[in-house]
Amino acid sequence: MLLNYLPVLLMSGFAAFMAGMILYVSSILSPHHPYREKLTAWECGMEPVGDADTGHFRVHFFIIAILFILFDVETLFLLPWAVVIADKSISLLAYIEMFIFIGVLAVGLVYAWAKGALDWI
Amino acid sequence: MISRTVRRKDMVPITWYIALGSVLFMIGVSGVLLRKNIIIMLMGVELMLNSVNINLAAFSYYLKDLRGQVFAVFTITVAAAEVAVALGILIALVRSRGVFSADKIDTLKG
Amino acid sequence: MERLFFLIFASVAVVSALCVVLFRNPVRSALALMLCLLQVACVFVLLRSPFLAVVQVFVYVGAVMVLFLFVVMILDIRQAELEAFFPPRNRWLMYAIIPVITFEFLLVILGTSFEGFGPGAGGETKVEVIGRALFTEYLLPFEVVSVLLLVAMVGAIVMAKKRWD
Repeated sequence: MLLNYLPVLLMSGFAAFMAGMILYVSSILSPHHPYREKLTAWECGMEPVGDADTGHFRVHFFIIAILFILFDVETLFLLPWAVVIADKSISLLAYIEMFIFIGVLAVGLVYAWAKGALDWI
Repeated sequence: MISRTVRRKDMVPITWYIALGSVLFMIGVSGVLLRKNIIIMLMGVELMLNSVNINLAAFSYYLKDLRGQVFAVFTITVAAAEVAVALGILIALVRSRGVFSADKIDTLKG
Repeated sequence: MERLFFLIFASVAVVSALCVVLFRNPVRSALALMLCLLQVACVFVLLRSPFLAVVQVFVYVGAVMVLFLFVVMILDIRQAELEAFFPPRNRWLMYAIIPVITFEFLLVILGTSFEGFGPGAGGETKVEVIGRALFTEYLLPFEVVSVLLLVAMVGAIVMAKKRWD
């Protein structure tokens, strides 16, 4: 039974190996003559201002990620629900429960929407 | 039961899983206690939660009891909510105070 | 064979967990944590709980790590990097205590013989079994989780909103 998972492991290992090899081989084969102007960030011909890693990303990304987590966890509970729902003995109960669950989470989405968390301005 | 343990040499003993869990837990504890950066401290908390999940899953498997796995699922869910709130607090804190170090956050009144 | 795989996963998990604590750059720590969580997912597969492994990859490696990386990107990384790594003398006791406690843990755990705990003879837990338990026996926790997530989201939005308008 565990052998069923071996292809997954091999495939992910192979993918990681391929990605590493592509980066490594291209770094070997490519010509490498750096100078100062070449190494600066390209900003449409303007002089670059500041650095990229000083925290200029917007907080809004964080809000979107919060919403993503919320619905990610919801999907995680939908997975066993979808397997169970075919069973006649508990299907109605599970159906109602899941709609309560989704309803409560929809309240959160409405809140975020009303607060303007979804507007990208 | 014991004879079967001996016969199936290939099985991983439960002590190995618990040992892995405890080592990961102690690494998480050291991350919380030794580092000052709040983000790293949060990552240490995540490591500790994961080691607990390993223990839950291990006992669930070796005792043939489902409850451990269900509990681990809920633990992961709660950890996701916890990370969301903790990072929200962190953003508010850093934006208003401008520090990352847990040592420098020592006032109660914002 | 199973032992070999367990040892591989466990050693990679421990090394990457150490990297989480030891790296200075929070981005590298986050990536090391991602590797560690993936190894824990592999350990879950060895424990015959594939649903837990899927959840681990889904929630932790997918969502939580994205959140961590976003926060590291939003905040100033270089400032965090400049901070002194080793805390001053007031925490020297920790350096002594943590290895001692770890050693003690390992001593006690590896010395205990869990005699009643035979290897789980049954196959892996099916998703259907977990789903059935989740929607009958664990109904209340399941619904409480939705309220918890709602509260968490509202709290996080209120926290982060203060600065965004």
